[in-house]
Amino acid sequence: MKLFWFEIYKTFSRWRTYISFGFIALIVILTEVVMKLSANEILYRMLRSLEKDFLIFGNVLNGWFVTAFIMNSLHFHIPFLITLVAGDIVSSEATSGTVRFLLMRPPSRSRIIMAKYLTTLFYTTGLVIFLGLICVSLGLILFGNGDLIMNYQVPTIRIAFVPEADVPIRMLLAFAAAVWSMTVVASLAFLFSTLAENSIGPIIGTMAIVIVFFVVGNFPFDFFRTLSPYLFTTYMIFWQRFLDNPIPWQEIAKSAAVLGFHSVGLFLIAFAVFNRKDIKS
Amino acid sequence: MEHLPPEIVLRTKGLSKKFGKRWAVKDLNIEVHRGDVFSFLGPNGAGKSTAIRMILTLLRPTAGSIEIFGKDLQKNRSSVLSRVCGIVEKPDFYLYLSAYENLKILGSMTRSVRRHEMMESLDVVGLKSRAFEKVRTFSHGMKQRLGIAQALLTKPELVILDEPTTGLDPQGMKEVRELIKRLGREREMTIFLSSHLLSEVELVSTRMAVINQGELVTQGTVSELLDREAMEYSIEVSPLELAVELIRKLSWVEFLSTENGHVEVRIQPGRAAELNRVLIANDIEVSSFYPHRTLEDFFLKVTKGTSEI
Repeated sequence: MKLFWFEIYKTFSRWRTYISFGFIALIVILTEVVMKLSANEILYRMLRSLEKDFLIFGNVLNGWFVTAFIMNSLHFHIPFLITLVAGDIVSSEATSGTVRFLLMRPPSRSRIIMAKYLTTLFYTTGLVIFLGLICVSLGLILFGNGDLIMNYQVPTIRIAFVPEADVPIRMLLAFAAAVWSMTVVASLAFLFSTLAENSIGPIIGTMAIVIVFFVVGNFPFDFFRTLSPYLFTTYMIFWQRFLDNPIPWQEIAKSAAVLGFHSVGLFLIAFAVFNRKDIKS
Repeated sequence: MEHLPPEIVLRTKGLSKKFGKRWAVKDLNIEVHRGDVFSFLGPNGAGKSTAIRMILTLLRPTAGSIEIFGKDLQKNRSSVLSRVCGIVEKPDFYLYLSAYENLKILGSMTRSVRRHEMMESLDVVGLKSRAFEKVRTFSHGMKQRLGIAQALLTKPELVILDEPTTGLDPQGMKEVRELIKRLGREREMTIFLSSHLLSEVELVSTRMAVINQGELVTQGTVSELLDREAMEYSIEVSPLELAVELIRKLSWVEFLSTENGHVEVRIQPGRAAELNRVLIANDIEVSSFYPHRTLEDFFLKVTKGTSEI
């Protein structure tokens, strides 16, 4: 616990940690203000196709919709912000030379790497919660409450309607799923961090994998479609399923299991690498 | 397992480390006694840092074992390291934290440390007034002293310092040497330090081991090892001719020559003071009397010319 606290203290003593929070605050505020100013245009585009088949009334462009919209738009931004800390947390100790001080202390390497991993997860969770809080609170202030209407393209084109009373709990589950998804990105960056002696490599390496997997998994060709189930990025958007109707629990369970397996696997490799590593720097 | 006699704090048995095809350390057997200021002497690349890193568990030995306080290090890592503190190469700290915060984090990993203990440690190394400043603003010498402060903080019985004066200016080197001697004397710590400076070893150490190309060349007390061979001295005297005549008559002088107004002599160990007395007793003015002994000379002697420095 003491080691975990020290890692938290070190992580949150660095200004770079707050870049992510600042970036999220900025992008959310900017997006929501622009959406508020362009509300009529957005509503027109949203309802243009829907109004042919549905009778829609009420506050459609509400805080919940805006939150889901922003979450959908940050496929690469949030992973990148997570790698800023996850890719740095072990490698920065090698860069600065403090790894020597750390590893010649009584606590075992296993305990040290565990504390660092827990700190990475703490930061990842904190970042996603921060995103959720700022999105929802500002969204509700600017756009008010209402039912959530989601337009899905996959696996079929359809509309999902979530009643206003159900949305908060659905949104909570969606954010929990987003944390779970981001844990894989954090674990991947963490693994690279144990392998590298600088922070740039892990950040670039993780982002390269995330981007390539996303692109490959979304190419509309049969060859890439066969690869898609083997890419963890395919499962990372499972948070959206909590905003579907009915909730596809089986699909969610499968995605959560695949992602969990990846996180655990990546951490175990990092654990083994760190425990066997010779500190030559 | 055989238990060590209490006076032996550190013992390596056949300690070896191979990087690729190269043996960085090979079959190293050294013993450090309680209360020693033990120097681990060798040229750059001799394997000193590799050996120290294995002792501090930063590197995994390829072969051999390390016993500290009579316990096998691999099997008792945590309990052994709670009584040991080390600085490898240069003391690196979290630059974005203050000296105090660094001590708090690093010290608390060994045991609970209180504020007054941290301030006391900083006081000993002269950094109390800078306690709450970010380490990023510290000079190399100040970081070196902070490194020693964190070593003091955990009250270790064995302090391991890898080239503690590297990169320091002469004043900084002097301060660190004084500090090392004080630690050994006043706090009854056993100090294990590596150096490539023979003069440094002579100034601070009680016992030493010499390593070259990864292998132990010799070990023993400093006086025993440095006096084992005949010593060469350069003496500035006046009048020169009378001094040469006098010295030539001494049976224990092995070599004599004059160079640039100095007398160059090689004498048996322990005769330097006697030679000085003879010169003064015969009204010869001695302006300077200093040994010619460089690490290179010493190595060439102990390795019988096989050393590459």
